Amino acid sequence: MIKHYFQLLFVILSLNASTVSAHAVVTNTSLKIDPIKAGTESKVSLTFNSRVELALSHFDLVKKNDVHERLHVNRGKIRGEVVIDIPPLEPGEHAIRLKVFAADGHLTEDIIRFFVIE
Amino acid sequence: MGGLADFLDSLVGGVDRVFFSVAIGGLIWGMFMLKPWSRRYDEKHLSSTVTLIYYGAFGLALTQGFALIIKVWLMNVTLGVWPFPAFADTIQFKAGMVRMIVMGCLAFYVGSKLSLQPTSKNAWYNATALAIPALIAGAWLAHGAGRFDGRIQLMTITVIHQIAAAAWVGGVFQLINIWRLSTRNAIDPMLWPNFLKQFGKLGLVSLAVLMATGLPMAIGYIDSWNGFIGTGYGNLLLVKLLLLAIALFLAYLNNRGTREFFEQNRETLLFREIPSYIQAETFLLVSILFTAVSLATQPPAIDIPKTTATWQETLATFKPRIPLTTSPTHEELMAGEPGRTAIIGQVPSRASTEWSDYNHNVAGIFVTTIAVLAIIASLRPPPSHRGPYWPLGFAFLGLFLFIRSDPEAWPLGPIGFWESTLESGEILQHRIATFMAFMMGVMEYKARHPNNSNKKLIYMFPLLGAFGGLMLLTHSHVGFQPKTAFLIQAGHTLMGVFAIIIASARWLEIRLNDPKQRQIAGLISAFAMLQLGMILLFYQEPLY
Repeated sequence: MIKHYFQLLFVILSLNASTVSAHAVVTNTSLKIDPIKAGTESKVSLTFNSRVELALSHFDLVKKNDVHERLHVNRGKIRGEVVIDIPPLEPGEHAIRLKVFAADGHLTEDIIRFFVIE
Repeated sequence: MGGLADFLDSLVGGVDRVFFSVAIGGLIWGMFMLKPWSRRYDEKHLSSTVTLIYYGAFGLALTQGFALIIKVWLMNVTLGVWPFPAFADTIQFKAGMVRMIVMGCLAFYVGSKLSLQPTSKNAWYNATALAIPALIAGAWLAHGAGRFDGRIQLMTITVIHQIAAAAWVGGVFQLINIWRLSTRNAIDPMLWPNFLKQFGKLGLVSLAVLMATGLPMAIGYIDSWNGFIGTGYGNLLLVKLLLLAIALFLAYLNNRGTREFFEQNRETLLFREIPSYIQAETFLLVSILFTAVSLATQPPAIDIPKTTATWQETLATFKPRIPLTTSPTHEELMAGEPGRTAIIGQVPSRASTEWSDYNHNVAGIFVTTIAVLAIIASLRPPPSHRGPYWPLGFAFLGLFLFIRSDPEAWPLGPIGFWESTLESGEILQHRIATFMAFMMGVMEYKARHPNNSNKKLIYMFPLLGAFGGLMLLTHSHVGFQPKTAFLIQAGHTLMGVFAIIIASARWLEIRLNDPKQRQIAGLISAFAMLQLGMILLFYQEPLY
């Protein structure tokens, strides 16, 4: 009886398994191998060590003079991947400022700096 | 108010673990140690045990609910949007709600059923069964739940690890409860040695399970020696191990005293020293629980190999050097701030680094001097008409740090006192720490004065010191690159460890009866203070 009770509890709680993630940090980015060229729309892929709750996360483009612009993001094809739509940019230093919520309750803030090339 | 939310978020997790240990550890105590359905029991003791479990479960339900509210608050201020309904769809919310409701039900059951039938085997089994969903829900809030590989194994191991920790910590709370009842002559005095003896076995099993489950988690989350030494995750694990080693030493003293009582009928240690050892052990165990929570906020070392500091870089932060005794002016500091805090075109500020180094190094001069004076006072007590002056050093230290810690805020900077305190978690922590240092100094000075009539005042120093240690263990510097943040954190966590040692040893100095042992405890406390002072004295912040 008790054994069945435990099994049932674990099954009920396991139904949520697909929505789980933990403290999220960026482990890889496409910016390393695929730099952004000026004046063209592009996509940047960020890979996290776990899934993030996109509905509770913000990704901002930071331009000259620290001007912020909210970015549109989608889930990528591989696990932990987030794909960000980047608008056409001028050459020079830019950054992606992210505030991501992991399902274990941790809000992580990070800044990824990059250069747009001619 | 974001700062307040951030600070409370970091503290509430530790409080949660303490209540968890009281509730779950209490149930384990009842099921495996007391077994009131099968043996003679002391009514007052049994009733008191059940009451403790009730408070643990009720406290955990409240804390879990509070944690969810703080999380909503924190998301609201950080993201600038109301997090519902998206938050309601997250596992954090669902598991948190399950945990809160289940612990509320457990508290209700314990209060309305178990307390009336504390000898009923069924009532104990039902209470334990009720707690199971809360334990499982906890698995979904742990690091392991988010891993892509070996998730179920890591989650299961984490839950078993948490239960083992609860058995030990909860058992220690039960022992303190028995001692409390003994000193009031409310129970048979032999219950104290009997349960101490029994607890030795439970403690050993808990320790074995903690090790057996902790090792695979450490291997799963840390993949190199640099990861162990050079990341926040590894660093906090090291702190846990250090504190555990000290707690085990005290547990050994308890065990030795208990054996001497039963084998040689020597009562001295058992009724005079062991209660104090157990109280000091409680300081350490609670600190381990807070460190465990802090550990859970760090990304595992295995995920950040590129931002891991080498062991040489880590050790370099503690390298002796001439302390910085001249500070840049406030104008020089503020001139560099726009460049340092900019995202695009960031320029590291030498003035900012030197400002911080000066603060820490001068604080080191204060603490080292206080420690040396405390050691002298311990070896050559002051004349009978006055107490030692060294505690007042903490009051001056508090004033110095209050003025210098946050140069962007009042009294030096343009941001107002309340605005800065409530908006930044870091500034709030600094404000509390400086106020505590001031109060510690004043109260300890008064407490050690021969004319002091308030006998409870003497406990404020170890209590505030332990709280300060917990704050250092959960101290965070935001806005840095991970490696920079870690190199700053490494010094603060080690200072947290020494603060806990200062508090625990001071507690023993107050509570122990043997004058020789009291002096040794006092010297340990003063030498830990000296070590803390040395860390501050040689503190050097990375340029950022």
